[in-house]
Amino acid sequence: MVSKVLVANRGEIACRILRACREAGLQSVAIYAENDSKSLFVELANQAVLLEGDSITTTYLNQEQILEIAASTGCDAVHPGFGFLSERADFARAVTQAGIQWIGPSPSAIERMGDKMTARKTMRDAGVPVIPGEEIEEEDEQEALTAIQHASTRVGYPLLLKASSGGGGKGMRAVERPEDLLNAAQSARREALAAFGDGRVYLERMLTGSKHVEIQILADRHGRTIHLGERECSVQRRHQKVFEEAPCATMSEELRTAMGKAAVAAAMAVNYEGAGTVEFLLAPNGEFFFLEMNTRIQVEHPVTELVTGVDIVREQLRIAAGEPMSCGELHLRGHAIEVRLYAEDASNNFLPAIGPLAVFQPPEGPGIRLDTGVRQGDEVTPNYDPMLAKLIVWAPSRIEALQRMRRALDEFVVLGTITNLRFLRELCDVPEVIEGATDTTMIDRLWPDGWSPSIPVEIEDGALMAAAVSESSGLHRQSNSSTESNEYSGPVSPFMTLNRRYP
Amino acid sequence: MLHQFRTAQGEIEVTVAKQGDVWHLGEHQATVEPDGRLLLTMASGLKSYATAAKVGDVWWVHFEGHTFCLERIEPGASQSGDEGGLVAPMPGKVLDVLVEIGQSVEAGQTLMVLEAMKMEHRILASNPGQITAIHFTADEQVQQGSVLLEMVDDES
Repeated sequence: MVSKVLVANRGEIACRILRACREAGLQSVAIYAENDSKSLFVELANQAVLLEGDSITTTYLNQEQILEIAASTGCDAVHPGFGFLSERADFARAVTQAGIQWIGPSPSAIERMGDKMTARKTMRDAGVPVIPGEEIEEEDEQEALTAIQHASTRVGYPLLLKASSGGGGKGMRAVERPEDLLNAAQSARREALAAFGDGRVYLERMLTGSKHVEIQILADRHGRTIHLGERECSVQRRHQKVFEEAPCATMSEELRTAMGKAAVAAAMAVNYEGAGTVEFLLAPNGEFFFLEMNTRIQVEHPVTELVTGVDIVREQLRIAAGEPMSCGELHLRGHAIEVRLYAEDASNNFLPAIGPLAVFQPPEGPGIRLDTGVRQGDEVTPNYDPMLAKLIVWAPSRIEALQRMRRALDEFVVLGTITNLRFLRELCDVPEVIEGATDTTMIDRLWPDGWSPSIPVEIEDGALMAAAVSESSGLHRQSNSSTESNEYSGPVSPFMTLNRRYP
Repeated sequence: MLHQFRTAQGEIEVTVAKQGDVWHLGEHQATVEPDGRLLLTMASGLKSYATAAKVGDVWWVHFEGHTFCLERIEPGASQSGDEGGLVAPMPGKVLDVLVEIGQSVEAGQTLMVLEAMKMEHRILASNPGQITAIHFTADEQVQQGSVLLEMVDDES
């Protein structure tokens, strides 16, 4: 039985889960750090409890405190969302030992898939193809660096350094030339240590021209392990996904069956339960290799929901309660695309941005879904991940889905904080994206010296006029004193001009 | 009315005037809608709404799928100079300082490593030169715009 769920997360994914709980008629408890007290997710829970502490470690990563809250509020289940403690086997174990249902796979499944080295071995044993690479077991800095150097000669260049217990691109470095290895290895180890408390890395051959294709799986306690088809997430910047779609544009029914079978085998190899994702690299020749398994709900799960009609979070709740999953035979329908709205400056190396969301007006209309944890008036701070929202569209065909995404992005208004909206909009016009010929290096290849928007002069003139008219009309003061009128009338001046002075 | 804005490309002067309810900028026209948006009618015939909001001195404008940050320059404000300081592109923490005062550096050399939003960012020398000041040490928090180090470029 599950009747009251503690959501051990924040932001957008906490909102997604809390809403699912409400729909399922379950009570919910949100936990929040002081700097989140005004956040949307806190409002969406039946009950919200303040986490004591002033850092992520002492709040959202504080297992003891979270367990205490779960017990004191009478929760019988914990949903970890993604990130934070979602892939921490020790936390899953502590939750289970406290007699509380962990909404996710068993601690041992998390362990075996969470440690990338063990996962590779498990997959090799289960007959799932893995990318050529080597694990570095050494923990001591000097020994590890020596081992990395030796392994690099066997793996070959270009290669990727990845954090063993990593994810989200943190602790990951692409190394093109042997002379860059040492620096990259030190920096990857340092970043991995800071982000995951584990500096171990592994080396992997970089397969150029490949697509990132992942299979969503669901497994219940009634002997059913199924896959829900694939998502393609090749379009990445700094190894973080920005544009995801289902199905993959170049997928054949035959390949889908083969990859689905491998994913189900991967899940069954660790007695998987709940929702999970098996990530593969799909080479241009149709060969695919196991990348990693994410033992949690994934950021891009909505595209699968839209093309399969399955509510994955509701299925997670059902499966955790010991019920069989509710979905029957699956048929993929239409096409779904998700883009991630980040507070970042796409024209300045995707540097994170902060500021107020003075205006936040998402698009509306048919086929549009917005998953977000923010609303107008919120402040974007440097405390957490810069992802503001996921904009997801569905349409009968891929072409129509792209058309709908362009329209939706054009309507989306975010003022006060720099976002990647325009970058996402221009992505929709890239020939590779239109043709579905995307691969994981596309962004770096298309914009080797960085991206910058192309702005028609007329649009810029319009914006300048809007700013000048707004300033002249005192629009920024209108909220306080709407009666004030400092307008003046007069003849049309011959000096109503633009005067650009570019250096 | 004359306004000056600073954009990514440079400074721009804009003069608009009002006749009746309609604002004019050359051939372009604008009216202020009751909800605060602006209905723009451009010389080309393009007719569309713009949304604007002021945050500090910056006008943020959304028009036709593009977002602009236009910093209004107060009349008579003096320009801030660029003094060769290397500033933090975002708030974060100093992870590592790789140079010392007096050290000569090459263009592209990593001077400092910052961490923000759990990602590492490297502060690089844009030109060859000499480090004249270091304002932070490892583990210190920095604010966006803080001057991290100062250097003088080599005479070419």
